Amino acid sequence: MPDTVIEVRDLVRKFGTRTVLNGISFSVNKGDTVIIMGGSGCGKSTLLRHIIGAMKPTSGSIRLFGEEITTMPQIQLEKLRLRFGMNFQFGALLQSLTVGENVALPIIENSRVDPGIVDLIVKMKLELVGLTGFEHLKPAEISGGMRKRVGLARAVAMDPELLFSDEPTSGLDPIMTAVIDQLTLDLTQKLDMTAVVVSHDMTSAFRIGTKMIVLGAGKRAGTIIAQGTPDEIRNHPDPEVQQFIKGEPDGPVPLKLSPEDYIDRLLDLPGQKEND
Amino acid sequence: MSLAANFRTFFFLNRSILYWLVLGPFRKQPLRISAVFQQMVRIGVQAFPMTALTSLSIGLTLAMQGAHELARMGATAYVPDLVAMTILRELGPLLVGVVVIGRSGSAVTAELGTMKVGEEIEALEVMSINPVRFLVVPRFLAMMVMLPVLTVFGNYIGLAGGWLICHFSLDMSTAAYIQRLMEAAQPDDLFTGIIKSIVFAWLIILISCQAGLGVSGGAEGVGQATTSSVVTSILAMLVANAVLTAIFFIT
Ligand SMILES: Nc1ncnc2c1ncn2[C@@H]1O[C@H](COP(=O)(O)OP(=O)(O)OP(=O)(O)O)[C@@H](O)[C@H]1O
Ligand SMILES: [Mg+2]
Repeated sequence: MPDTVIEVRDLVRKFGTRTVLNGISFSVNKGDTVIIMGGSGCGKSTLLRHIIGAMKPTSGSIRLFGEEITTMPQIQLEKLRLRFGMNFQFGALLQSLTVGENVALPIIENSRVDPGIVDLIVKMKLELVGLTGFEHLKPAEISGGMRKRVGLARAVAMDPELLFSDEPTSGLDPIMTAVIDQLTLDLTQKLDMTAVVVSHDMTSAFRIGTKMIVLGAGKRAGTIIAQGTPDEIRNHPDPEVQQFIKGEPDGPVPLKLSPEDYIDRLLDLPGQKEND
Repeated sequence: MSLAANFRTFFFLNRSILYWLVLGPFRKQPLRISAVFQQMVRIGVQAFPMTALTSLSIGLTLAMQGAHELARMGATAYVPDLVAMTILRELGPLLVGVVVIGRSGSAVTAELGTMKVGEEIEALEVMSINPVRFLVVPRFLAMMVMLPVLTVFGNYIGLAGGWLICHFSLDMSTAAYIQRLMEAAQPDDLFTGIIKSIVFAWLIILISCQAGLGVSGGAEGVGQATTSSVVTSILAMLVANAVLTAIFFIT
């Protein structure tokens, strides 16, 4: 299968005694835009961290471009990382550098490009995310949504084959959300880039996704409860999936604990179970 | 983290600094000279006023104490000897070390720790930018150069402090003071002080960087790491000082 870009098999990750990822398996083909959905704290960011090799799994295998990354030596991993970009949930911009320098950083450090050209690329990338003219501000001087867009500009600065984006549109206004969605669509459709996007925003998810993965909560935490094309997900029989995409407060994922559970928790009685 | 694990990390950090210093240029990721100079200003140049103040005050107090004690034996002529020996061999490197730990080592830990907490270090790694090469090596080189420079500078200021007392209080002529210094202090006294400061620089910057990169758990973690980096640096420096004094002057 030459065009499988990401292949995750039986990925398990435990933090201490808590299992956050419990047997995740999926694959992503070239040109796909995969949306990862799931409740807050269900392990979406953690899953991305494993795929980019920033965290090592407890067990399981992750292959990027056909290469196993869980056992890969650091030097090889650094080479592989040149082929992808990551947009962090909170931007993760370098506070000591300006917006422009942040976007320029991967280009300057990883290639021999003339400074004039670097300037040009930076301007182009910032233009893409609607931030022309903000090059000289520090990350502390711009808003959260703007920081996120700078993060996206930095992630695509090197024109990666593979883009990871952790909630790129949360905290953005509807117009800016549409701009970012259009950008992702352009990159995947015109440049044949593959994208993995974590999103809570159903409109945006169904607008850009070609494949969707839903992570479970409660008893099924850490597992994939549904995956498929947007249509398959929209018509998925699982009530939890339906609750999630319709955004209903109550359903299989309970709004409130039962009265007994509530009292138990409140009084911190023995026999209580963590339910994260 | 256990003591053994800390030593292990210390060893690995040393190794990867060496790796990037020696092999980095061949991997098309050479050192950024501009970053080194930037750090030299922040770690070293900005510590000059504080170093000057500390050294001057020590030079003054040493000369005053010396003058007071030696006067009883009518040996005030030896005050310059006392000042020179104490400052060049021991107090100079040590006090400048303390100043630099307090204002630069702690700042390095806090800065790297904040970057760790803010996912900046992780972001660097994902961009294939090695954090040791990008962040630690420039600070390492800056410290290795600037602490010895600050120490030599501090030595002169300390000796000038001694001169103030000798000249204005003991009526010693400037020429006599300098001549007495030349006779009392050997070049070796200065050199051992510089060697000490090089060892201190190595300890301080490694401990500070290691503490910063090891931060976990938000702003509180940064605070704890900064405190522990200052305490560990001072302890390590005092132990190293005792060992080096034993090697240089006792054997
Ligand atoms: N370094 C860590 N140490 C211990 N537990 C962690 C760590 N990182 C994440 N977790 C746990 O893993 C779970 C999933 O976290 P994660 O950040 O992946 O959630 P998420 O799905 O991205 O949530 P959100 O939508 O709110 O961003 C959480 O319960 C969290 O407590
Ligand atoms: Mg997250």
